Amino acid sequence: MVSLYWFILFPVIVGIAGLLLSDKISNILSLFGQTLIFVYAIMLFFTVHQDGQVFQIIGNWPQSIGIGLKADTTSILFVLLTSFLFLILILFSMNSSYSDKLFNFLFLSVEGLISCVFLANDLFTIFVSLEVSTIIVSILIMYKKDKRSIYDGMMYLLINIFAMSFFLLGLGMLYKQTGFLDIGDITKQITLINNKKDLILPYAFMLTAVSLKSALMPLFSWLPKAHGTPGAPAVVSALLSGLFVKSGIYLFIRLQLMFSAAIDTQLLFLILGFATAIVGIILCLQQTDIKLILAYSTVAQLGLIMIGLNFSSSQAFYGSLYHIINHAIFKVGLFLAAGLIIEEYQTRDINKIKGLLKRMPATGIAIILFSLAISGAPFFNASISKYFIASGAQSDFTKYGLEIINFGTIFIFVQFSRILIGKTEPAVMSKQKPIKFLLLLVLALFCLLGGIWGVDLMNLLWGQNFQITISSYLEKTVYFTISVSLSFLILIFIRPKVQIRSLKKLKSLDVSFNTVCLSVLLYFSSLTAYLYFF
Amino acid sequence: MALINGENTAIILFFIGVYGIIARRNIIKSIISLGIMEVAIILYFLATATRTGALAPIGETIDLTLVADPLPQALMITNIVIGIGVTAVALTMFIHLYHQFGTSNWIKVKKKRNKNG
Repeated sequence: MVSLYWFILFPVIVGIAGLLLSDKISNILSLFGQTLIFVYAIMLFFTVHQDGQVFQIIGNWPQSIGIGLKADTTSILFVLLTSFLFLILILFSMNSSYSDKLFNFLFLSVEGLISCVFLANDLFTIFVSLEVSTIIVSILIMYKKDKRSIYDGMMYLLINIFAMSFFLLGLGMLYKQTGFLDIGDITKQITLINNKKDLILPYAFMLTAVSLKSALMPLFSWLPKAHGTPGAPAVVSALLSGLFVKSGIYLFIRLQLMFSAAIDTQLLFLILGFATAIVGIILCLQQTDIKLILAYSTVAQLGLIMIGLNFSSSQAFYGSLYHIINHAIFKVGLFLAAGLIIEEYQTRDINKIKGLLKRMPATGIAIILFSLAISGAPFFNASISKYFIASGAQSDFTKYGLEIINFGTIFIFVQFSRILIGKTEPAVMSKQKPIKFLLLLVLALFCLLGGIWGVDLMNLLWGQNFQITISSYLEKTVYFTISVSLSFLILIFIRPKVQIRSLKKLKSLDVSFNTVCLSVLLYFSSLTAYLYFF
Repeated sequence: MALINGENTAIILFFIGVYGIIARRNIIKSIISLGIMEVAIILYFLATATRTGALAPIGETIDLTLVADPLPQALMITNIVIGIGVTAVALTMFIHLYHQFGTSNWIKVKKKRNKNG
């Protein structure tokens, strides 16, 4: 019998046990524990696929009173992804200067809490795990006690706590209306409520917090700071950008499904998704800090995921879910590679990093593969997910919008790839462990495999009948080739001459804490107004 | 229904906290405002779960029809614990921040942060 709560408890127990031992043993212990969790997740994954979903209530309480944990095909997939990526991250951080026992404890606790967000079936448990993981993540951000990281970590903590208190107040209102905390029960109750206007306030309160967590258009300004902060170890940035934002998106999906009987906001979030993606791309092009480039590209990709989720087509919806997984894999890879590059070159400025292929060939190849994957090159995983997202576009407007976003992503990574060439001195500190390069190549291999077997995998996972026609896939390939060559042309002939002056200011787009909180309030009031009048 | 009841007070209190966060530049005051918001949420949960004359849900012999809903109360105990944790972590972080930047003003901290990088 599989017990779901071990996914939440076991990492924390391993972390605490490690705290009692020495740093070195705690490293080995966390690696061992993580391998166990990964194996367990694989086992549960197959159980769920054979016997259907697993639903358990902690402490044998009756249903809708006790805390329910539910593993259906989607949530167990995310748990499997979490444990796989944590295994990679723990292997990567082995023997690093920062990986002491306290770090291991915090790191493993975040894993338990992320799994809890994916598995929990009642809203208060989700709230608690998000709140606690926010605290731990902010400590991880400022782990090196670097001057700027302290500011970034503090901003991150207070903004997220501020938003989550909106969530809790909304939950209070929802509890008053429905009398339940369990998502399944609330879904049933909502269909019984006659006056749908009663649900507007709870919905607006909760969705404000979730939009901030998933970094939608006006509320994303905390994300690049937290994800791209210079002081944080590479594994922490990778964890935040690859996995942790996905918990916000996952919560968004759950809440939208829960309220779907009463409130329909697909159009609004479709527009917000487009705005997020385009603003993310524009800001990304202004950056010179390698970590910030990756962080802003996360914003753009989250916008794309949001677009796919809000097309009214099930193919686009599942394409988006697949894109969440793909994005997690290559963004983790990119951040880890960026960490190695920063360690080697001792700079984060993209203009000062040159000749990566000569100096660090393995990392260079990994960067090429990840860049191909994120920009949706044929045979890579994102090409499949982007294909299905694009298949949901009905009108011309959305089709061209998606083309622009794809072109923007390709342009960002063509520009990013200039670090690969150029003159450089030979490697100075190539004492880095070969296992790190190996891990990067493993992740890159997964990107490739996810592309080649993408359609079969999606059919297996969600049991839908997905199909790709060869002709349209070839069309996408042609588009991709044209976009890449166009980006190179722009980069070689136009870019050096035309420095976009007016946008220069955007590079240092830096809003204060008060402004971010004001934007949360404005977002909340406009969401409420939108729901009342439309 | 009376205009001044627990729920309305809680909502007003919540937005007083929001105002404090938006309008005050002192980091300590931001943390205090977060505390006010948290208290408002606790008041809201407790106010929705009770009515005049309701009994506390303690003991075995009480009349079940008169008892206040115990679930929100249990939730709020958890929330109080989280709130203490958040405040403690935020204040500890503030001490580190103050050691590094020498000011408790958000705007000045931001300026100093950007100057060094």
